[in-house]
Amino acid sequence: MQIFTQLLFSGIALGMIYAVIAFGYQLTFATSDTLNFGQGDALMLGALVGLTLVNLGVNYWLMIPLVCLFGAAQGAFVERIGVRPAIKIKSEFGWIMSTIALGIIFKNVAENVWGRDDLKFPSPLPESPMHFLGANVLPMEILVVVGAVLMMLAVEIFNRKSIYGKAVVATFNDRDAAKLMGINTGLVITFSYALSSTTAAFAGVLIAPLTLTGATMGAVLGLKAFAVAIIGGLTSGMGIIVGGIILGVAETTTGFYLSTGYKDVPGLVLLLIVLAVKPAGLFGKSAIKKV
Amino acid sequence: MQTKFKLTAVALAWVASTAFAADPIKVGVAGPFTGGSSSMGVSMRDGVRLAADEINKSGGVLGRQLLLVERDDEAKNERGVQIAQELISKEKVVAAVGYINTGVALASQRFFQDAKIPVMNNVATGSVITHQFDDQPENYIFRNSAHDSIQAPMIVEEAITKRGFKKVAILADSTNYGQLGREDLEKALALKNVKAVAVEKFNIKDVDMTAQLLKAKEAGAEAVLTYGIGPELAQIANGMTKLGWKVPIVGSWTLSMANYIDNAGPGGEGARMPQTFIQEATTPKRKAFIDNYLKTFKPKNNRIDSPVSAAQGYDSVYLLAAAIKQAGSTDGPKIKAALEELKAPVDGVVTSYNKPFSKTDHDAITANIPVFGEVKGQRVVYAYADDQKKASEVRVKDANAKGALSQTKKP
Repeated sequence: MQIFTQLLFSGIALGMIYAVIAFGYQLTFATSDTLNFGQGDALMLGALVGLTLVNLGVNYWLMIPLVCLFGAAQGAFVERIGVRPAIKIKSEFGWIMSTIALGIIFKNVAENVWGRDDLKFPSPLPESPMHFLGANVLPMEILVVVGAVLMMLAVEIFNRKSIYGKAVVATFNDRDAAKLMGINTGLVITFSYALSSTTAAFAGVLIAPLTLTGATMGAVLGLKAFAVAIIGGLTSGMGIIVGGIILGVAETTTGFYLSTGYKDVPGLVLLLIVLAVKPAGLFGKSAIKKV
Repeated sequence: MQTKFKLTAVALAWVASTAFAADPIKVGVAGPFTGGSSSMGVSMRDGVRLAADEINKSGGVLGRQLLLVERDDEAKNERGVQIAQELISKEKVVAAVGYINTGVALASQRFFQDAKIPVMNNVATGSVITHQFDDQPENYIFRNSAHDSIQAPMIVEEAITKRGFKKVAILADSTNYGQLGREDLEKALALKNVKAVAVEKFNIKDVDMTAQLLKAKEAGAEAVLTYGIGPELAQIANGMTKLGWKVPIVGSWTLSMANYIDNAGPGGEGARMPQTFIQEATTPKRKAFIDNYLKTFKPKNNRIDSPVSAAQGYDSVYLLAAAIKQAGSTDGPKIKAALEELKAPVDGVVTSYNKPFSKTDHDAITANIPVFGEVKGQRVVYAYADDQKKASEVRVKDANAKGALSQTKKP
């Protein structure tokens, strides 16, 4: 039982890491039906910028808002350069290539600026584990879970309560109608990209003390988060959290009970099943696309 | 008309031949200068540069300068293959040094073998590397790093015999390097009638090692034997800290990588690994090498990122240069023949190479050469005071040294 609790805790911590990244995918999908495939790289840039600030002597907690600002600028940049032209000409797939391309460019830039090695991100909390229900948890893991949930709540409340959030929802429901109602949909989409990269950058500094920080840190995480977004559903905040936890726990428990060689398999099998049975994701609303 | 043509041809030939004589000798350098293995790749490259620089300053080889053609293989097999082809057909190198990753070496060196161009593996340790072409009459693959069939028994000797652990777990990554190493570890354990209580795998870039470590812990392991590279090894040490389960780590030489030491922090202290070279000025030659390296490349905290790779990279160029000099030619088969019977000893930083290779033995390092290093105070130091005291006596190759697994070519 103690073992299982430990696996469960580690799985949840890992799953929440995936979930915060997956949340970013959801934000842009909600407004523009596009995804930022450079999400993993936005996360990496956030973590590296954060690391630089911390090394300059900025306090970890003060650094977070600065990194969020950087993330917003980076997201807006991606939207203007990569996504807007594709949306303008109503290209179905142009944004896929351009966001991937921008992601690769960011990675190369990061390799040249910060070097190619994995770096250590100093932990703002003590690194000795805490005992909880017979299992060990790192304070940082709790911070990731709490931080992720708070961030998602904040964005959800913003979307539901504020007038700007309503504009976002309206843009998602019907972009053309929203435009006719006087909503500047272009700005809303830019904003959603900025918000998406902000969450990614925030996720980056949140998880960096747990993972290693480096130019290549985004690749695997971005991909797993994408699987989480598909499993949970691209339209549901709840789904992202549940999807993340499912994938995380599946990885740690399979690793222990089956074989560590197969630990990535169940999550991906689940992905295939979800795609076959409920393509909109476990919690997603299936939309009927009118042509 | 005809004489004029002949004259021109002769003149052209003369011009061409003098131009040829002044041409530099091109040597390919392939290794991962980016990614998780980069601390080894970059240190190796810097060691190679240092040696080539020294040789060029003292007049080059055969009166020609060495020209390094460096390529980043990103630790990817397919990049390695592209680079091998480029080095051979486009750059027309006379020899290649490098390869950090066993998988990349195995995928790439067949092109050099086919082109009859010698390759000096200076870091990759997979046992099969020098035996890949055992079935062919001529083998162009050489090595001056401690291969896994030496390292695995050393690791086992340290854990089982010297420190008396009865139950050990093996944690290895899923690459060629990790899995071939795991095989060697299991073989070496079997020779001591020990079976690992847990054998676990992890992937490159894995951020969570809980499952693997819990399995080892549940099986009652008293020590963890590792075969992986720096960042993931650091995650193992970090995972141990998290689980509050601290047992000694003994593993392959990669535990000396800077990205292991830095990322594991205090949790990584005490890890032990076989090393061919430890950054200590124990002989004048080593002192000169270390001083020169620190002066030229200015690594952080005056610590070479991977001292072993730097030293072996440095030595590989001297071995090659000695062979070219002895062969009096840059012809692949002649260099190879010269390497197989080097007449003059080559004074390197790892050891003094006295007839390091023969027709059938292409490995310069034998089981008696490596010593155990330990991570202490964020550096790699001698694990045993005795080794350090005797470090100034250079350990030379002993083909009869005991301790290596017998090597058999895998199909």
